[in-house]
Amino acid sequence: MKLNVNGVEREVAGDWLNESLLTVLRDHLGLTGTRFSCGIGQCGACVVHVDGAPINSCLIPVQKAAGKAVLTIEGLAAADGTLHPLQQAWVDENVPQCGFCQSGQIMQALALLDTTPEPSDADIDQAMSGNLCRCGTYDRIRKAIKSAAPKVQLWEPV
Amino acid sequence: MAKFSRRKFLVATGWVAGGVTALYLLRNRATAVAPTIIFPDNASGGAWLQIRPDGVCRMLFPRMDMGQNANTGLAQIAAEELNVKAHDIDGVVPSTNQVPPFAVTAGSMSLTAFSRPVAVAAATLREHMRARAAAKLNTPLSEVLDAEGGFTTADGQTVSYADLADQSDVLVEIDDAQPLPALYSFDASRSKRQVGHDVSPLGIRGLVTGAPAYSADVPMAGVLYGRAVQPPVRNAELAALDTAGLDQVQGFIQLVHDGDFVGVVCKTPSAVDAAMAKVKVTWRLQQPINQNEIDQLVDVDAALAQGELKHVLQDNNHRKDAQWQVDLRFDVQVQSHAAQEPRAAIARFNKEGPQRLEIWTGTQDPFGINRFAAMDTGLSEDEVVIHPQRMGGGFGGREHYEVERDAVRLARAMGQPVKVQWTRADEFTAGRNRSASTHRVRIAADAYGNLSDWWYAYVTGYVTFARERLPSWLLPVVRLGDDMGVVKGAIAPYSAPHQRVECKDVDLPVDLGVWRSLNGAPAIFAIESAMDELATQLDVEPVAFKIAQMRGTQPRLQGCLERVRDLSLKRELPEGPGYGRGYAAGIYDGRCFVAVSADVYIDPQSQQIKVLHMCCAQDVGLAVNPDQLRAQIESNLAWSIGMALLEQLEVGDGDIQSSNFDNYRIPRMSDMPSLDIAVIDQPNIPSTGAGEVALVAGPPAIANAIRHASGIRPLRLPIRYADVVEGQGASA
Repeated sequence: MKLNVNGVEREVAGDWLNESLLTVLRDHLGLTGTRFSCGIGQCGACVVHVDGAPINSCLIPVQKAAGKAVLTIEGLAAADGTLHPLQQAWVDENVPQCGFCQSGQIMQALALLDTTPEPSDADIDQAMSGNLCRCGTYDRIRKAIKSAAPKVQLWEPV
Repeated sequence: MAKFSRRKFLVATGWVAGGVTALYLLRNRATAVAPTIIFPDNASGGAWLQIRPDGVCRMLFPRMDMGQNANTGLAQIAAEELNVKAHDIDGVVPSTNQVPPFAVTAGSMSLTAFSRPVAVAAATLREHMRARAAAKLNTPLSEVLDAEGGFTTADGQTVSYADLADQSDVLVEIDDAQPLPALYSFDASRSKRQVGHDVSPLGIRGLVTGAPAYSADVPMAGVLYGRAVQPPVRNAELAALDTAGLDQVQGFIQLVHDGDFVGVVCKTPSAVDAAMAKVKVTWRLQQPINQNEIDQLVDVDAALAQGELKHVLQDNNHRKDAQWQVDLRFDVQVQSHAAQEPRAAIARFNKEGPQRLEIWTGTQDPFGINRFAAMDTGLSEDEVVIHPQRMGGGFGGREHYEVERDAVRLARAMGQPVKVQWTRADEFTAGRNRSASTHRVRIAADAYGNLSDWWYAYVTGYVTFARERLPSWLLPVVRLGDDMGVVKGAIAPYSAPHQRVECKDVDLPVDLGVWRSLNGAPAIFAIESAMDELATQLDVEPVAFKIAQMRGTQPRLQGCLERVRDLSLKRELPEGPGYGRGYAAGIYDGRCFVAVSADVYIDPQSQQIKVLHMCCAQDVGLAVNPDQLRAQIESNLAWSIGMALLEQLEVGDGDIQSSNFDNYRIPRMSDMPSLDIAVIDQPNIPSTGAGEVALVAGPPAIANAIRHASGIRPLRLPIRYADVVEGQGASA
């Protein structure tokens, strides 16, 4: 089957058709920026967008993503390497500690800003409550989302 | 021997090819037990720093990054000495064949122990390059002045490190018998450009773009996927194995069963899940596993009823029958590390070449893993190489040969590389937890509140002397002494003429190990709760009361408390029932000082305890990177909420019930309060570490706030809503 990831058509080999979207992305297609952490949709480390909606990629069989557009953390920056405003805000606020959850955090924040361009603290708490960070970087994530929000609306990747 | 080994490392790093390298001597060898405890001396840093032929400083990082970003701080120090920017340093995480063994990354020791050797090596390189500059410019040495990335002279000549570097290997000797070069990093009178500044963690761009960083991200041709069955406790023995239906699993390749080890290998990751569901192991336990068993083993009152406890840590004119004004018992439950990354490893056996076994893994102790893999396989230590990867959280839980063992045994059976990815359930089942403990604190005071008698007794599981951290023949011997993990935090900063502290350490039926702050957080929770209770009963302001009872002996801790009180007063506590504010202070490992305040609300609507705001003042000496210090404090405050209100490893009858984040709650964003943090910089005092400091004061600050809000003294962690409304705690 074919899978459209970050705008590129990728072939999924027969041995991998019974896998989750997450394991196909990571172990078959080599897109390891999306991470496995809980396997039951409780932590958000594996969030990617499928047709624009954030989903826990550990939970969906890869075949359900066939014919849909999958966006992962690797597809966020511009082709020339310019960071997406959310990624840049994550750098400016020095958000990551261990960093393991941050791909999922950024993808979830992107989904929030798609629907709520000017989120309040309560909006952020609500939208991000499915994304765990054991290091406790939540305060910086809040700040990064707020500082990125106005720039995300203007973002036009090269 | 030293020279030969040194050359071996230089070949492995490619450093022989060119550049200027500081020389080091191999003085220490690893001991045969875990963890690796070799601390560096002044000359050690020579193994980690080089000026490349293009003039760039290359640094082989001697610390394992797991979120504390210690190597960024060390790079700032090297950069300060060399007059370059930290982000211009070419940082590399070395494999175990590229550097002499270094100590396990643990105990908040990275900057404490490694700052100076890094500074000495970098300064030695700088002075060597200065001599070259003097020769090249035909100028007296004293007239060659520092400049960004090189040197300058009064008459305007400049020369860069690239101009001065070599195309071939040049060794610079660090001789700590000679006077050391000037160390810029620790000179409080100097205006610094790297040290003391907020530098972004090195490699941060990769972390926000999803670049490969962790063990499971390593690409590996021809890799197979495997996993082993984790016993509920390490000393369990396999009693029965049932694999009915395993052969029918699509993608299943092989079962590997050797003694108590049972694992499967498959073609794809999900096939491993399906195969493991068909593997049923019955374990024979040496000790029943259940909560009741744990509760009885750590019962401090039962232990005291039998007489003096095993370890007496302090005993000054103890009076057993003083008029105790506070006499409280505190219980702390078992907690899991629950790092965000479930551990993973890849092992590959090579038919050719000097390295017969390679392991890619995230570990706090790569040299320990190297030794244990050699012991496990019968290879020599030189035939095994560990390629350490970034850890998605460590917190003390990743020092052991565990997921690596699984990968090694499966890869050896298959003759092909195997990747093992632990599940979240594996993490909870096989993690080495923070022990349960119970604490009895008794305090007597005169009418003015001055302490006359202090008696603190507690029972906890072994920490650094936990089973299997050491060979079984050694355990009874070392356990006669004080377990450094068990005794952390036990000595209070308060003075009393009659003072006794005693403890007992025991084996529990669950696996124990090093957890963030070790015994520091449980002990200081008990001590600070008891002192707060005394202040409350005396109706005195708790911060002033605690400072008075330090009797001037703890100026740095006093400074933290005063600062945190000021911070907390900037925010008005809402009026009305259910709101409370609490304070606590503590010293981690005798060297790191911290105070925390917490504002809480006990919400009858949601029946939850909510932390609204926390302040923290921390003094850990020289602040090499204030922003990263703040990050560590934020992390410790988040952990404080987990420890105080949420986390408890659920133990069933014969197994571990906690299996994932749905039944082991860690703080979520909505649990996170607003924060106000002060880093107290002490440019004249060497850095003493920050990774697990604020966690000693956060939980008691929350507990004391709950006492203030509810009138009920929390006696058990985690504190549940029901504990403070139904009066299970001791009412004041």
